[in-house]
Amino acid sequence: MSHPDPARQAPPDPALDGVMIRLEHISKTFPGSSIPAIGDLSLDFPRGEIVTLIGPSGCGKTTTLKLINRLIEPTSGRIQVDGKDALEIEPHILRLGIGYVIQQVGLFPHRTIRQNIATVPGLLGWDRSRTEQRVDELIQLVGLDPTMADRFPPELSGGQQQRVGVARALAADPPVLLMDEPFGAVDPIVRNHLQDELLRLQEHLQKTVVFVTHDIDEAIKLGDKMALLNVGGVLEQFGKPEEILREPADEFVNRFIGGERGLKRLALITLAEIELDPGPIVSPPVDEAEARIVMEKHGTNWVGVVSNGNLLGWVWASDFGKREPLEERIQWFKVKLAPTNTLRQALDEIITSRTQVAVVCEGDRYLGMTTLEQIRAAVAR
Amino acid sequence: MIMSFADAAGQPLILWSWVRGHGGLIFSLLLQHILLTGIAVAIGSAISLFLAILSVRYRRAYAPVTWLTGIMYTIPSIALFGFLVPLTGYTILSAEIGLVSYTLLILIRNIVAGIDGVPAEVREAAVAMGYRPVRLLLQIELPIALPTIVAGLRIATVTTIGLVTITSLITYGGLGRLILEGLQGFFPTKVVVGSVLSILLAATTDAAFVLLGRTLTPWARRKAATA
Repeated sequence: MSHPDPARQAPPDPALDGVMIRLEHISKTFPGSSIPAIGDLSLDFPRGEIVTLIGPSGCGKTTTLKLINRLIEPTSGRIQVDGKDALEIEPHILRLGIGYVIQQVGLFPHRTIRQNIATVPGLLGWDRSRTEQRVDELIQLVGLDPTMADRFPPELSGGQQQRVGVARALAADPPVLLMDEPFGAVDPIVRNHLQDELLRLQEHLQKTVVFVTHDIDEAIKLGDKMALLNVGGVLEQFGKPEEILREPADEFVNRFIGGERGLKRLALITLAEIELDPGPIVSPPVDEAEARIVMEKHGTNWVGVVSNGNLLGWVWASDFGKREPLEERIQWFKVKLAPTNTLRQALDEIITSRTQVAVVCEGDRYLGMTTLEQIRAAVAR
Repeated sequence: MIMSFADAAGQPLILWSWVRGHGGLIFSLLLQHILLTGIAVAIGSAISLFLAILSVRYRRAYAPVTWLTGIMYTIPSIALFGFLVPLTGYTILSAEIGLVSYTLLILIRNIVAGIDGVPAEVREAAVAMGYRPVRLLLQIELPIALPTIVAGLRIATVTTIGLVTITSLITYGGLGRLILEGLQGFFPTKVVVGSVLSILLAATTDAAFVLLGRTLTPWARRKAATA
């Protein structure tokens, strides 16, 4: 049995350019219930982006997710996936093009890890060598130990099982990935790690990901966009997490995103996005008079030493005028941040380091430093 | 008062010369016993699989199915064969109808329990990846239910091996024939040979099913090992 490969079908409707999934005036009332789980929801999911769905219980976030692969059928409204009317496509064909990852993972206990990952290629009728090759690729991609390939799911830890779950969902390279609290059952350290891995994967996979979570920090961290839903599927706010934190639409959103909005925003801005200051620096051989001028200008009691673009370290003003050359008094910057680090990490460095700055390097190359003032200015934008 | 055969007929419990002289007969009765059991369990499995899947898909069917097969299971075996003889005569058909009817309750319950035991998230994941009902049943639900199904088959088969001896009252009866003839003719050797062999057959079959279960479901064993 073989199905048309959903990843290789006609180009999408140009009217939906940049939109992978469109929900139009969706309502859903479950049988036996008089109150709709979703009243009237319209939402666009941009192609290649992660959209996190978050809200209190009863807000219909999981229902919304399951509407997309038709595990739940809407009472009314339209659903378009990749430019096609999802309600017109046979559900099992639609689903072959949509990866699905859930909190309980749902691996097949009677199949090995390798066989689990090969599930959708099997349904699509791929030949053996193509499937084998793809499975090997995925085991590597999600960071699984290849020796686990022939084991059965119960032999793996929760975190490893979820990696298999993600690999299985990605097997046939579907353009859409639905994830329902996928990291909710693992401990915080593993969860954090899996989140980072998802972001790393997404960098080159560019899937359209719909990610349901009840963890606001997770929603902020992972979402290119965030959709905040209220009870009954009411969309309270949709936008970039940074925008929502900066300007919550209303009191509900404000309360939901909770305290420390400023700190949460800092976690979303990278050092690459702000202008770095060269800071108080001199080049060897260090001339003391020149160094004193630089320090005075910056109001510091230390000066950085940069040689050929490399930051060697810093020298205290109190070490000036001693017998040995200043170069022997250079202290190392123990922590050097990269442009991909966030302002939150920079802030942490500033408040814990003796120099009260965070140093930013790319590899060995010195890019500049950032201060509390600069961070405050970036957030005030 | 209990009267032993040895007392009654003045014979030893086992006459080895008779056993040596009737090896062919004993062997053919053993084969017959296995065949009667095999046919009953095979037909019983087919019917049970159908009724169990029907019960899983249409939940309302489950109560009447267990009610009916439960009644069949409750009827004492001699009484059931007594009912069947006026309808289907002293035939192998009567014997098999009786034997099959005793396997149904155990097999259906185990198949349904096995399929019900498939975790909801496993089923949901399968459906979400594009499985349709028939393939879901054949490739996911039944394989995961296999340990429970094999456990049911084991009980049903061992029970049937015991019941086959009773069918000697109306037809062939496998090793039961030896037991019956031995009882009627006050010849303990036949009783002993028939009883011992049917017990051995039941015990061997039981062990074979344990082994079969382990071979068919290596994953279930590993799960137990890590649990």
